[in-house]
Amino acid sequence: MLRRYVAKRLLVAIPSLLIASMIVFTLPRLIPGDVVQLMLEEKAYAKDIEELRAKLGLNRPIYVQYFEWLGHVTTGNLGESLWTRRPVLEELGRRLPVTLTLGVCAIAFAILIAVPVGVISAARQDTLKDYTARSAAVLGLSVPGFWLATLVIVLPAIWWGWRPATGFTEFSQSPLYYLTQFLLPGVILGVASSAAIMRLTRGMLLEVLRQDYVRTAWAKGLAERVIVLKHSLKNAVIPVVTVLGIQIAQIIGGTVIIEQIFGFPGMGRFLFDAIVQRDYPVIQGVNLIVVSVIVIVNLTVDALYATLDPRIRL
Amino acid sequence: MNLGRRDLVKLGGLTLAGTALSPSVLWAQTPKRGGALTLRTWDPPHWDHMETGGASYKIHIPMTFTHSRLLKHKAGPGVVPGTFPIEGDLAESWTQPNDTTYVFKLRKGVRWHAKPPVNGRELTADDVVYTVDRFLKVKGNANAYMLDSVTKVEPVDRYTVKFTLKEPFAWFLDMIANPMALAIIAKEVVEKHGDLKKPEAVIGTGPYMLDSYRPNTGITLVRNPNYFLPGLPYIDRVEMVVDEDNASRMAAFLSGKYDLGWEFPGTINRTDWVQIKDSLKQKRPNLKTAEFPANVMSHISMRTDQKPYSDARVRQAISLAIDRQAIIDQPLEGVGVFNPPVPAGLKEWSIPMNQLGEGARYYKAAPAEAKRLLAAAGYPSGFQAPICFTTYGSTLLVDVSQMVLKNLKDVGIDARLDQKEYGAYISTCFNGKFDAMAFGPQTPYLDPDNFLYGQYHAGQLKNQSHINDPVVEDMLVRQRRTFDVAKRREILFEIQKHLAKQQYYVQMPSSVYVAVWEGAVKNYGPNLGYDYGGRLLHAWLDR
Repeated sequence: MLRRYVAKRLLVAIPSLLIASMIVFTLPRLIPGDVVQLMLEEKAYAKDIEELRAKLGLNRPIYVQYFEWLGHVTTGNLGESLWTRRPVLEELGRRLPVTLTLGVCAIAFAILIAVPVGVISAARQDTLKDYTARSAAVLGLSVPGFWLATLVIVLPAIWWGWRPATGFTEFSQSPLYYLTQFLLPGVILGVASSAAIMRLTRGMLLEVLRQDYVRTAWAKGLAERVIVLKHSLKNAVIPVVTVLGIQIAQIIGGTVIIEQIFGFPGMGRFLFDAIVQRDYPVIQGVNLIVVSVIVIVNLTVDALYATLDPRIRL
Repeated sequence: MNLGRRDLVKLGGLTLAGTALSPSVLWAQTPKRGGALTLRTWDPPHWDHMETGGASYKIHIPMTFTHSRLLKHKAGPGVVPGTFPIEGDLAESWTQPNDTTYVFKLRKGVRWHAKPPVNGRELTADDVVYTVDRFLKVKGNANAYMLDSVTKVEPVDRYTVKFTLKEPFAWFLDMIANPMALAIIAKEVVEKHGDLKKPEAVIGTGPYMLDSYRPNTGITLVRNPNYFLPGLPYIDRVEMVVDEDNASRMAAFLSGKYDLGWEFPGTINRTDWVQIKDSLKQKRPNLKTAEFPANVMSHISMRTDQKPYSDARVRQAISLAIDRQAIIDQPLEGVGVFNPPVPAGLKEWSIPMNQLGEGARYYKAAPAEAKRLLAAAGYPSGFQAPICFTTYGSTLLVDVSQMVLKNLKDVGIDARLDQKEYGAYISTCFNGKFDAMAFGPQTPYLDPDNFLYGQYHAGQLKNQSHINDPVVEDMLVRQRRTFDVAKRREILFEIQKHLAKQQYYVQMPSSVYVAVWEGAVKNYGPNLGYDYGGRLLHAWLDR
């Protein structure tokens, strides 16, 4: 049953990816000022512009370019950067692990903090612990990640002349440092998600705790820990899992800024530079990967949802 | 000598604050070999300095360490910032047999970096000829205009190269020396890699060799042991850190990571400087500073081929409306310089404001006079005007643009910003494709010809104001044909006097750079331009 459900969802994902490919191909080309004009900047004359456009293959009709690109994508070729002539896939292969590690750190932090705090907050509703947790969550939602990152970097430098390490160390240089360098940016990136998940966990758990079967459990004299963690939490986290899927998409978006601030050579920064430079194949490649990741995450969430609540498969 | 900062700025030259050491004292110390210097850089999109324009500085800056040019600008504490005396780099000497011919004698025994495919072979005249040929012919070289005047380049013998120009061009040597132009490359490298975009293709004859390039992260340069000037460079390693976030850069500088100011060209933005200078006094007491006017200048351009801007009185009124002193006092934190048509930063060529003559009055805020001129031109109630604009990511530029809007409104010109994304702005308004006015900074050239000829000569792409003034054109061509420096300066001053009256562009004041460097970096002198490598060639570390 679960297999058929996943297969059905996979089929739905194909047109989603196709539509997304059209959008990621077309939208960057609609922004005024193309890559050729940016390459030549103010020093270009009409003849130079046309010659360079022809050299880069940008003088052909857009649908011809699209289908050529799509054909290459189906064979695993995402094209070459118009600026560096380096294969986009090769660049992504180097950068995707950086962004994924950062994203995993952020999600891990968000879950590790949010779920226990949400549970405590719900179990101790309207106590000092609850108020404190909720206030912290509101603060976490309100504070933009880039601002928090800026403070974390600048304030220690002003106060003590010390700055958290920025820049990037490759795994091959120092595996331990490679992992630890993601902690601070991961925490900052995960703060907003953590706050959202905490609030949702608390809300859903409160709802579940008011269900009849929970009241029965209380009446039977079960321990609070058993009631909350064993009988209530599983039902409460179903919507949380769904929201987690949305948060992952947001976190991938957030990496653009955090990678910029911490100097990580990840995919977000690659995309940012590509947009500024109108490097179409890179924009298309990165976005296609991001869309694919989000589709896969949503698929996984749907599958998890179905596992947690078998009624969904029916 | 005990001068205040404003006094020093008024002098317009190099001003050393902090521990004021005279250049002679610096030269007298014995240089030390070794050590590593760290500075902030910009991530190069690739490494082919001939195939990019918009991001050329990102490539040209590291290439000033790894590559040599025929000529270069002198550098060091003895050079006054804003001046660019020329000296030989690969060229040992040069002659000019006639107005359109230049002959360069190359140094003998100059070796390429010991990397394949050149493996340290000797540089010859053929390499120079190949470089010029590629520079002029490769598609996508946004800087090719710098050598537009060249019709032929040929090897005379193994160590002699002859350039023939279409017509006399007095700025030719300055173009050759400019770090944006002619870094000499080897044919085999291009043939091996197809172009110069890969880091493996960074092979020159410069004082440093590329050791590693880490995209988005940094560049490591190591000393070239076979550099043609014996004993140089003194510093063993240069770490160039890619740091795209200003807060991160500021924190890095405060914590002592960078040896030079993090902004171009080794400076700290005045707004940041004001915030952190007290902290720096405690945390980095040995820092040295120097202040000199920037050559980055913004201006208002106008459709002078259309009404109402075709009327000089309207343009003069717009200039009179602008309160330049208020711009200096507020967004520029009280330190700035007025600019005539050639920015004050180019000390040798910018006419002093008090010599502008009749046109000088248009640089002083006079709203009442501006209204009178507008009324005389037939616009007693002013008019509406969109101003094409992009922020360039600069809050300073946004602040100045708001003041410009307010100043114009005060005299009745209802201007509104037509804000565009950077790419859209460059492809339209920067090239004069706008309806009424545009506002923004200009490329910070190191010579007056690029500021004037491109912007004021009919038919030039950078002629944003659509100017067609035979008087200016005649003078622009004459200065290009005048080799006597004093006479050329006279013509350039005449041009600026004429332009001050015409106000085809309304120039804004420029900031005064705060160049900052670690006291342990000896024998370093800041200047404008990309030539970080040149300025650090004779520097050494005393840590």
